[in-house]
Amino acid sequence: MRQGWSRGERLHQRVWDLLPWYVNGTLPDSERRRVEEHLSRCSRCQEELAACRGIGEAVSRQEEAAPAPHPAQLARLMARIDEEENVLRGLRALFAATPRAVRFALAAQLAAVLLLAGALLWRPEPAPAPLFQTLSSPAPESETGPAARLRIVFAEGTTEKEIREVLLKVRGQVVGGPSPFGVYTVEVPASPDPIESVLAHLRSQKGVSLAEPVAGGR
Amino acid sequence: MAPMALDTEICLLKRIAGKDRKAFEALYHQYYRRLFAYLLKLTRRADLVEEVLNDVMLAVWNGAAGFDGRSRPSTWIFGIAYHKAMKAMARRGAAATEDPEEAPEPVDYEEPESLMARRELATTLGRALDALPAEQRAVVELTYYYGLPYQEIAEILGCPVNTVKTRMFHARRRLKELLPGMGISNHAG
Repeated sequence: MRQGWSRGERLHQRVWDLLPWYVNGTLPDSERRRVEEHLSRCSRCQEELAACRGIGEAVSRQEEAAPAPHPAQLARLMARIDEEENVLRGLRALFAATPRAVRFALAAQLAAVLLLAGALLWRPEPAPAPLFQTLSSPAPESETGPAARLRIVFAEGTTEKEIREVLLKVRGQVVGGPSPFGVYTVEVPASPDPIESVLAHLRSQKGVSLAEPVAGGR
Repeated sequence: MAPMALDTEICLLKRIAGKDRKAFEALYHQYYRRLFAYLLKLTRRADLVEEVLNDVMLAVWNGAAGFDGRSRPSTWIFGIAYHKAMKAMARRGAAATEDPEEAPEPVDYEEPESLMARRELATTLGRALDALPAEQRAVVELTYYYGLPYQEIAEILGCPVNTVKTRMFHARRRLKELLPGMGISNHAG
């Protein structure tokens, strides 16, 4: 736990995390100075710096294997664009040729269809067999106990179903997000399981790339 | 290939937002090789690259109007490419292996200066990069090959800065296991 660390250890860890960007020369001046100052008296970071330089040099020496674009590939791309544009143009023409009253009726129908489709898609599936017994014991209908807020980022490519399963297991409710960075704010019951074990469980899930308590959320 | 001047790229994107095909083709030619190499580094799958590249350019065509100029055009386009590549890999079940059984054998370098060792390093490095999860590999390449600051990498990946650092932390540890003998010792931070 990083909270238990002394100031010196925290500084060491911060510098350690920054070393790759010290190597590639992109740190802002203030951070660069902090790194250099710490490096001057930390042999572990000096060693790690050498390691980062070694990896950095090897990676930057890789050859860039890229052919020139083939005309046929661009042609295929332009054909896809044509296809999309044609569909759009067709829809627009249809819309323009439709009398106002009919447009209104169509819009109302479309709204009804979307609503129905939404209702179908959002019907919750039965909860999967519990893997994590203490966390997945049946949730009471109304959760009145204290709740904790977490910030969760799911790995790229995680499906909506997988997200739902992860959240169901911790009885989590999405109360915000996803933000532009893909951050979900999720509320979970603060008992009976301590929030640390909920976090540990979440972090062990393949689809979860980040799970952190919201500061001041408890 | 010198990257285009920033103003030129922004101007091209504005014209593309107005559905100017000449501008689109110019951007396509300007970015083709950069995107090809980048997608190959991300996916390490030559068979995926062409298809994903077209997906990326189609998204640029459709999304240029939404480019707000807050980031550089290359950051925006590399971000699209990252997400398209991850999606394509998920679709094809092509995620990088995380199975230690399949990890490459560590190799010791006696003479890293010799040409032979260098060539070997390239292939061993290649296999080591193969062994990383794609998200970690992306951070390694964007840092060391493309020389980008972590803030810009976070923008491209669409994740918090701390996630970038965490992914790099894990990648460093893994690469040290796979590439010993590079002046690298193994105790973690």
